[in-house]
Amino acid sequence: MFPVFVLLQGRRGKVRGMSYVQGVQDNLLPSLWLSVGRGIEGGKSDKEVDGEEMSEHNIDELLELIWTQQEDGKDSLTELLRVTVEENAEDVLKRMAQAGFVVISGDKLSFAPTGEARAKEIIRRHRLAERLFTEAFKMEVDEKIEYNACEFEHILSPEVTESVCTFLGHPPTCPHGRPIPRGKCCEKFHKEMKPLVTPLNELHPGEEGRIVFIAPKNHTRLDRLSTMGIIPGSIVRLHQKKPSYVLEIGETTLALDGEIVREIYVKRV
Amino acid sequence: MHDHGSHKEEEPKGIPRLALIGNPNVGKSVIFGYLTGKYVTVSNYPGTTVEITSARAHVNKKEYVVIDTPGVNSLLPMSEDERVTRDILLNEDIEAIIQGIDTKNLRRGLLITLQLAEIGIPFVIALNLFDEARSRGISVDADKLSDTIGTTAIPTVATLRKGMDQLLKALQNPRVSTFATHYDRRIEDGVGRITPLLPEARISKKSLALMLLAGDESLNNWLHEHLKEQTIREIDNIRLEVQSSFSEPLAYVINHSRLMASDRLLKEVFSETGKRERDINSFLGRWTMHQVWGVPFLLAVLYGFYQFVGVFGAGTLVDFLEDSVFKGYINPWAVKLFDYIPIMILRELFVGQYGIITMAITYAIAIVLPIVGTFFIAFGILEDSGYLPRLAVMVNNVFKAMGLNGKAVLPMVLGLGCDTMATLTARILETRKERIIVTLLLALGVPCSAQMGVVLGMLGSISFTATLVWLGVVVGVMLLVGYLASKVIPGTGSDFILELPPIRLPQLSNIGIKTMARIEWYLREAVPLFVLGTLILFISDKLGLLALAEKIAAPLVVGFLGLPIKATEAFIIGFLRRDYGAAGLLVLARAGQLDSIQIVVSIVTITLFVPCIANFFMIIKEQGIKVALYITGFIFPFAFLVGGILNFVLRYYQVAL
Repeated sequence: MFPVFVLLQGRRGKVRGMSYVQGVQDNLLPSLWLSVGRGIEGGKSDKEVDGEEMSEHNIDELLELIWTQQEDGKDSLTELLRVTVEENAEDVLKRMAQAGFVVISGDKLSFAPTGEARAKEIIRRHRLAERLFTEAFKMEVDEKIEYNACEFEHILSPEVTESVCTFLGHPPTCPHGRPIPRGKCCEKFHKEMKPLVTPLNELHPGEEGRIVFIAPKNHTRLDRLSTMGIIPGSIVRLHQKKPSYVLEIGETTLALDGEIVREIYVKRV
Repeated sequence: MHDHGSHKEEEPKGIPRLALIGNPNVGKSVIFGYLTGKYVTVSNYPGTTVEITSARAHVNKKEYVVIDTPGVNSLLPMSEDERVTRDILLNEDIEAIIQGIDTKNLRRGLLITLQLAEIGIPFVIALNLFDEARSRGISVDADKLSDTIGTTAIPTVATLRKGMDQLLKALQNPRVSTFATHYDRRIEDGVGRITPLLPEARISKKSLALMLLAGDESLNNWLHEHLKEQTIREIDNIRLEVQSSFSEPLAYVINHSRLMASDRLLKEVFSETGKRERDINSFLGRWTMHQVWGVPFLLAVLYGFYQFVGVFGAGTLVDFLEDSVFKGYINPWAVKLFDYIPIMILRELFVGQYGIITMAITYAIAIVLPIVGTFFIAFGILEDSGYLPRLAVMVNNVFKAMGLNGKAVLPMVLGLGCDTMATLTARILETRKERIIVTLLLALGVPCSAQMGVVLGMLGSISFTATLVWLGVVVGVMLLVGYLASKVIPGTGSDFILELPPIRLPQLSNIGIKTMARIEWYLREAVPLFVLGTLILFISDKLGLLALAEKIAAPLVVGFLGLPIKATEAFIIGFLRRDYGAAGLLVLARAGQLDSIQIVVSIVTITLFVPCIANFFMIIKEQGIKVALYITGFIFPFAFLVGGILNFVLRYYQVAL
């Protein structure tokens, strides 16, 4: 939980050295935090737990496992029991079958509609969380990510999940390459074809974007960009990507390293 | 590349100073030229002025010292040349400032305007390039701008002298701007706590306090000169305290407030009418840096250069001057003239084998001058067109491998004009590591105009393959050395952020003036060294030292490089100027004393040879004696090593050139 906590205790308007325009951002990250804050309390109560809630957690974990097994083309109950780390998995599964989440026939294990919908949401939250850590916070893909994503999947509210998904530009896969189940916001996305915030380098040459925030590796870079007029709120046009990136800000034409361009996040205009 | 001298004189104290300040490439140097009648290099790319140039001038019948400064984007310096400008404000008694603004880029100009308002020195604004802005459908309400900031803004087109009268008039009564930028309360509090600790200075305490809050390390020396250690620590503590209540760096927070303020100003005075038309210039601007079309364009530029400098300058003009003018008239006349002088030694000194007229003057005027002359014309056109920064876009990735970025292409290309001035221009690079690598590469492999012209002339007489071998070896060696240097030299590179000026049609008058100024500089600097080199050869010859040197160098020059012993002389005078050395080789080649392989080996060696005396002193001045000695100590044996290996390879594989 620790890295998440650092994030939450920071002041409003600061996410690991990023700076952004509040107006645009208000509907994204701050709401993320507020709801996550709520979620954390929920997470805490997880530990002071009674049996009922414990099993809720177990159910989620098992649904998740069944989903990934199915992705790999496996539906064997014995196989699932072999790989799971949950205690009393067999009992829990039986209760899940009674509750109408799963259907067990012989060794074949499959989702009932309610269970499938719930599993889809959990998987979606988990993989989006992984994306969030790697894309926005530049964390390495390792066990820590896995661990934190596991925590996140239980606490993200539906609204926050949509915000995260939109913020990340509706990513199709998780960092490990597995598909992220589509959500409602993604359907909207299909109509609009435009994520809210994208790294500047993902614009097509000739497109314009309003800078939402800049997440530079070092401070001098931020200072220097600001003297050139590159600050949140400015409108930039991506002129070309190769052999070097060239931007236009008003009447100024600038050539920049791709590395810097990737740190500038814009909203298409 | 020519303004040696003019900036070195100390202007007397007591005469009021007038400083030109502004973003890069807004025409400060043009205004300077108008005010002082003195020419300083004017080009169409940022960073042409890297040193302060000052001259005395009568402005409104009053005597001033006018100071031209390197362009800045903020008065918080981010590079060496920006620091130079800020230090003028800090250390010189400036009576008034002329701020040059590129009208179409008013937003960034205002960022500086607000800082000038803060420092409290009276100033006027030249809204320059007003015509270019208008052709892009931009208009600026100069009166309203003047009213809002409480100083005078005049629309100008400095190159056409438009609006300059009004600018002079405004200078009679420059005003201190009344405009104040509002910062976050926490910043203002910090300023309020720091100002009482500061001594009286030439700029306002508030502006100093803001610079200090922004963590401007370049103020360190000034601080230690003016304040006690304890006070400095106190200021630093205040800075840290204020910083702790912001997530972004303070410099950014302060800049952000300024940009917001200038955006509000902009809304009132700046309007864009209609769509900007895409004309031929912006079309050229785009495809000169296109990932595909940029390459043939670059090749076409190089070919044009080769034709104009290598074939026309080094071929046609040199043939005419050397064969017809010097060999046909001047030298025979001189010989005849000295026939009347019975003193043998004087005769030999002037018209002998190592004669001042027959060797030094002939080399300087007949061989090198037409080459540098045509080079300066072609280079001036390139400079003023705005093509050079676009070249940086094309080569950024290659330069990254050498620990540099695309920006370094500017000093490197300038080196093709003169390595000495280019070494000075390395200042536009941000880190010491980059400056040292560029200085090394300039000294090692970038032939200056004179030398390159001679080299192209020699290669032109062999074959295109020979040209490719020479180019390939020199470029390959530079890439290799650059790559290794980036691994060995400590420090870091910097971000590639380069402003691209618009493509403009070069003005013939500026090219003419610039070329003349550069030729004058060449004659003043190179000819004396040519004479000195000839004298050294003459004396060595008389004392028998030349024969000795040739004997000592024989194993190296003859054995290792496979060159005739006479080539030793070229290398000896190459210590003074590489182009002089190359000219010596050219003379050998024209006399038929070198075969194709010998020509290629000798010019590769002389291209990589030690920097000329002037360049050597510039390296000492810019990077210190240690770096200068390291660089020379590396290059001297290395040049011979590469030449020797090339000789071996060409002979072993019996390459036909």
